[in-house]
Amino acid sequence: MKTMKTTIGRGSLRRSLFFCVGFITLTLVAVACTKEKSEEENTLNLVISSNVKGLDPIDVSDVYSSRVTSQIFEGLLSYHYLKRPLEIIPQLAASMPTVSADGLVHTFKLKKGVKFQDDPCFPEGKGREITSNDFVYSWRRLADPRNRSEGFWVFDGHIKGLNEWRTAVGEGKADYSTPIEGLQTPDSETLIIKLTHPYFQLHYVLAMVVTAVVPKEAVEKYDKEILNHPVGTGPFRLESWVRNNKIVLVKNPSWTGQTYPTEGEPDDRAQGLLEDAGKPLPFADKVVMTELVEDQPRWLNFLKGNFDYAGIPKDNFDQAISGGALSEELKQKGMRLHVAQYPDLTYVAFNMEDPVLGKNKTLRKALSMATNTQISIEKFYNNRAIPAHSPVPPGIDGYDKDFVNPYQKYDLVKAKELMKEAGFPEGKGLPEFTFETTNSATARQVAEYFKQEMAALGVQIRIGVNTWPEFTTKVKEKRAQIWGIAWNADYPDSQNFYQLLYGKNVSPGPNGSNYVNKEFDELYEKALRLPMGQERTAIYKKMRAIVVEEAPWIFGVHRLGYVPSFHWLKNFKPHPIINDDVKYYRVDTKEKAKLKAKL
Amino acid sequence: MPILFGITLLTFTLFNVAGGDPAVQFAGKNASAVQIEQIRHELGLDRPLYQQYFFYLKQIVSLDFGRSWSSRQQISTLIVDGVGASLSVSVPPFFISVALCIVLAMFSAFFRGRLFDRSIMVGCLGLMSISYLVYIMVFQYLLGYKMGLFPISGWDASWVDRWPYLILPWICIVVVSLGANVLLYRAVFMEEIFQDYVRTAKAKGLNTRIIYLKHILKNAMIPIITVVVIQMPYLYTGSLLVENFFGIPGIGGLLVQALANADFPVIKAMVFIGSVLYMVFSLLSDLLYALVDPRVQLK
Repeated sequence: MKTMKTTIGRGSLRRSLFFCVGFITLTLVAVACTKEKSEEENTLNLVISSNVKGLDPIDVSDVYSSRVTSQIFEGLLSYHYLKRPLEIIPQLAASMPTVSADGLVHTFKLKKGVKFQDDPCFPEGKGREITSNDFVYSWRRLADPRNRSEGFWVFDGHIKGLNEWRTAVGEGKADYSTPIEGLQTPDSETLIIKLTHPYFQLHYVLAMVVTAVVPKEAVEKYDKEILNHPVGTGPFRLESWVRNNKIVLVKNPSWTGQTYPTEGEPDDRAQGLLEDAGKPLPFADKVVMTELVEDQPRWLNFLKGNFDYAGIPKDNFDQAISGGALSEELKQKGMRLHVAQYPDLTYVAFNMEDPVLGKNKTLRKALSMATNTQISIEKFYNNRAIPAHSPVPPGIDGYDKDFVNPYQKYDLVKAKELMKEAGFPEGKGLPEFTFETTNSATARQVAEYFKQEMAALGVQIRIGVNTWPEFTTKVKEKRAQIWGIAWNADYPDSQNFYQLLYGKNVSPGPNGSNYVNKEFDELYEKALRLPMGQERTAIYKKMRAIVVEEAPWIFGVHRLGYVPSFHWLKNFKPHPIINDDVKYYRVDTKEKAKLKAKL
Repeated sequence: MPILFGITLLTFTLFNVAGGDPAVQFAGKNASAVQIEQIRHELGLDRPLYQQYFFYLKQIVSLDFGRSWSSRQQISTLIVDGVGASLSVSVPPFFISVALCIVLAMFSAFFRGRLFDRSIMVGCLGLMSISYLVYIMVFQYLLGYKMGLFPISGWDASWVDRWPYLILPWICIVVVSLGANVLLYRAVFMEEIFQDYVRTAKAKGLNTRIIYLKHILKNAMIPIITVVVIQMPYLYTGSLLVENFFGIPGIGGLLVQALANADFPVIKAMVFIGSVLYMVFSLLSDLLYALVDPRVQLK
């Protein structure tokens, strides 16, 4: 009897089990049949590998926010899209400014008829024409200490009266109506900038999005929410933004007048980059920018054709690249490869205030010669980098491709000799050093490798793992001993890299190494007063010689970007500096439909 | 209240003892000493510590945590926007998982020692020994990319259109939670199955289904409720890995980003909300005991 009851019970429970499994399976199958929403045809689908913080130009301090903000806002100047070496061109300025003989006064005439995007902040929601006062207002915002802009360094100490105004505002003794001597607007189309000293990087910083024009009406209406309500003059305006997910931009109907460039590098025509020469911009009606921080979904979505181009994650490099070229698999999918040189530098810095490291350049040279950059390039960059022999990367004025830094060469025997010469044969008598790094997996691997290299020399290294804030604080407070870091160019001028070694920029300034050399500083100051040209280049060469001989850094690499894109994306040419290049991109919708069907 | 006060004090102390200097962090790469000092002033970090602490308490009382130092977004907006996304990712699979685990555990206990039970045990041990990240990466690759059954990643602000993007994350979460929970619940059921009241019920000729569903299940629910309810406060933070891999704009990454950026206002808000939720759900679990087992008296 008992057995029978149990059997009946088990049968009943079995039915329940089948019911549960069946229900779940049916639900999943039903959902799986739901398709993704399709995007409109003339849409650019781009991916951003980090989360965008905000869309206020003065707040933009990361490349990801800059990527979005640069499509919405414009400044006085920009860069030519195709030409290399890089060339500054007018954007909201009618032409390049007239500059006084002493280089201290720059007069800009504004392009006529440029309007802000339509927005409820304007009467009847219609954007008004920009004036020179809008630039002065925008730059006051940049200088206003209450706004905490990271970008103020672009004007810091350069414009007459601006720093004084900043201090006075901080003390509550001035406001936006207080005149600034160095920013004058004789009429609505003229803007005069008076400098405290010749500042030959001024035109470069005026092409940076932090100096873009914003309307006072928008700032007053949206106040602290301005970072979510961008109102610029650019080719696209914000349609929607789901934070940490997706930004949708649509063509700004009031943006007119700019056409696709008619000239570029010699190879550009053959590459099809001049097929749209002279055609009105922008080409896309809509731009969808998806924020995806993880490599795998970014890469898989790209392979499915959901993004028009994407960088190659480290772990997928072998799938994408074969023998230095695009793999057959990706070629079959309708992709092509773009290789771009990034204007950047990685280096290992020594704290020159350290009693041992800072006082012994032979020791620093020995450490430099014990690091094998070529192995690092293979291990950590998939060969996507070239060794750095000086602070200046390729593509930047002052770079010399033929220059060879003798201490960049890996030579353990010579390094050991130098150790002996430095007074520490086989590392004897040398204290343990701490190599500070951040907590990312790659950063730790790099640190471990450095430790191994130094061990071969007899130098003991302890690895200090930090969060990014801890790391920057240690460097800024001069508490770090040795650390690895990278610098990306803000503009294509050697000064942007040599400032990292300028004596007046020691911590908490950008000279984290706290390197001070009188001769170097004098040359740096001399170069600051000179325009680009042979004389300045000669000075940079002398500065380079000093840095190489003093070895405050172990030079690392200049990175290369390997970027595959689909054939349907036309006019795509990675630009080393600007971010406002989306207006040049065009989607060949027919080709896209054809290729996507195969993916 | 004393617990909350202790938590605020601990959070504040930890932030001020460990971690980097936020002023240095937010001043940027080119900042001078003067600019860093100005930022320290703007952030209120130059005020005495007791004043900073009282300001924190004031924020808690007014439930206004201000703006993020890093993104400058309103913290309440960040949390409200993110919580909806996080809950839509975490809540449905949580309940699916609880239901599924209870059913599987009960069947496993019922068929104890048989092939079904052994298969479940081996399967669960297998599931437990694989990393969460592996499930996400493999499912995303196979089900999303290779088979095209689900979108690889994505999100939609509309509640109606977002659900196709949620199924794959749900599958990952459910599968990950199965291993440990089924084994745990099975152990609970096994303990109940050999109790005297079960033997008595069987002796009285009660239907097996009634014994299991009415008696064993009810008695097994007390330890299960404890485990389930204690996990619930964490639902609001979602899952960092799932959200990052599937491009879901939840708040899984908010606290992690805040810690990485020394964004104290966000850390304060998140820790406070998390603590309150933990206390609320602990209380809820006590209330549920009484509901499930009338012998438990609330005093």
